[in-house]
Amino acid sequence: MLILWRAIYRIAWKDVVGDWRRRATLSSMLFFAIAVLVIFQVAFDPDRREAARLLPGLLWVTLLFTSLMGLGRVFQGEEEDGAFEGLLLASVPRGVIFLGKWMGNLLLTVLVELLLLPLTLVLFNVDVWGQVPAIVAVLFVGTLGLTGLGVLLAAMTQSARSRETLLALLLLPLTAPLLIAGVQAVAGLVQPGLDIAPWVRLLVIFDVVYLALAPWAFGWLVAE
Amino acid sequence: MPLLSVQGLHHCFGRHRVLNGIHLALEAGNCGVLLGANGSGKSTLLALLSTRFRLQQGHYHLAGLAVAEHGDMVRSRLLFVGHHTHLYGHLTPLENLLFFADLHGLSAAGTVLREAVVAVGLEKFMEQPVRWFSAGMKKRLALARLLLFQPDLLLLDEPYSALDQQGVAWLNETISQFLQRGGVVVMASHDPERIAALPHQPFRLHRGQLYGPGEAFPC
Repeated sequence: MLILWRAIYRIAWKDVVGDWRRRATLSSMLFFAIAVLVIFQVAFDPDRREAARLLPGLLWVTLLFTSLMGLGRVFQGEEEDGAFEGLLLASVPRGVIFLGKWMGNLLLTVLVELLLLPLTLVLFNVDVWGQVPAIVAVLFVGTLGLTGLGVLLAAMTQSARSRETLLALLLLPLTAPLLIAGVQAVAGLVQPGLDIAPWVRLLVIFDVVYLALAPWAFGWLVAE
Repeated sequence: MPLLSVQGLHHCFGRHRVLNGIHLALEAGNCGVLLGANGSGKSTLLALLSTRFRLQQGHYHLAGLAVAEHGDMVRSRLLFVGHHTHLYGHLTPLENLLFFADLHGLSAAGTVLREAVVAVGLEKFMEQPVRWFSAGMKKRLALARLLLFQPDLLLLDEPYSALDQQGVAWLNETISQFLQRGGVVVMASHDPERIAALPHQPFRLHRGQLYGPGEAFPC
């Protein structure tokens, strides 16, 4: 078991270190997220009440498109010198390779989220600072499923010619229920009086389904 | 019982049949060299032996383990160095070897990794990202993985390409030691002069069939 955890950690480490040294994915995800938020702020210029109403959708839309950018590059590093073939020749189960790639992407996405949330609250002048830990928790639960399915679809589309378009085409409809649940859960935290428990349960169900099936599906997908 | 045993292996890409009933058995300490024209199926056979391709038809056992049932265990007993070196350009040689060790469940200490890098003559480049390496240096580093563990099977696809004289001598010496320790080597090569230095059995691939030493080869 320790061997499997070490392999998962090492794959995630390799992706995060690679991204840090190349200044590739994280910086572009951050710039993109900031650009989206600034454009929304300038375009709508909402008052405080309106901003609180817009906040959940805005957060999740920014998060979705930012993750799409990261997901498009999950397997890009594996194209170098047959690295993906090397990964598949590892003596760990293929599901472990998936989990390593997912962990790496999850770390980068969560990092972006942690920077994105305070920036959004400041830009839109929404005073829900007391709810920040709960919002972060909801975003995290949603991100587990979003990145889980996303990494699987990225593996599926990696050899396609227009893979980024294809990835978006597949990811957007498949994550729609998860996004709706995420938006409703954050809305419940921003606007008191709404019950968020059913939406959080739905998020957890999607996480469990996506993350239980994805490692198995990945193993089947990469076998030639 | 042979360490490597392949029976009735067939492989198709779509409708194109590349391998047509391959039989191969190699005892411990033997080196089989696959010869044949481009497109004769040498690389496909190596990809099947490495488990990279799924078995379509036939049986393949390594050290008594059937690949169809124990793919992960078979992968832990082989090393494949092909046209690609499977190295990450943003990592240093040590980091690349550490990555390989962790993905193969090897508990290689830092000193073992360093010794492997030194053994392939790359000690001066220990802290450099691999992306700056020449093709020959990358090949040496890829082969350094052999020093981290003792696999049963070593698969090599054109191993002499990009290696200088010193590299070729080092590789032949490493292969000889590996064979003496009881491993099996299967390599594809177009370089008969360099292979001549090694004790080996030549196998010829022609129209999807494998002809062993002494077998009549259709002209």
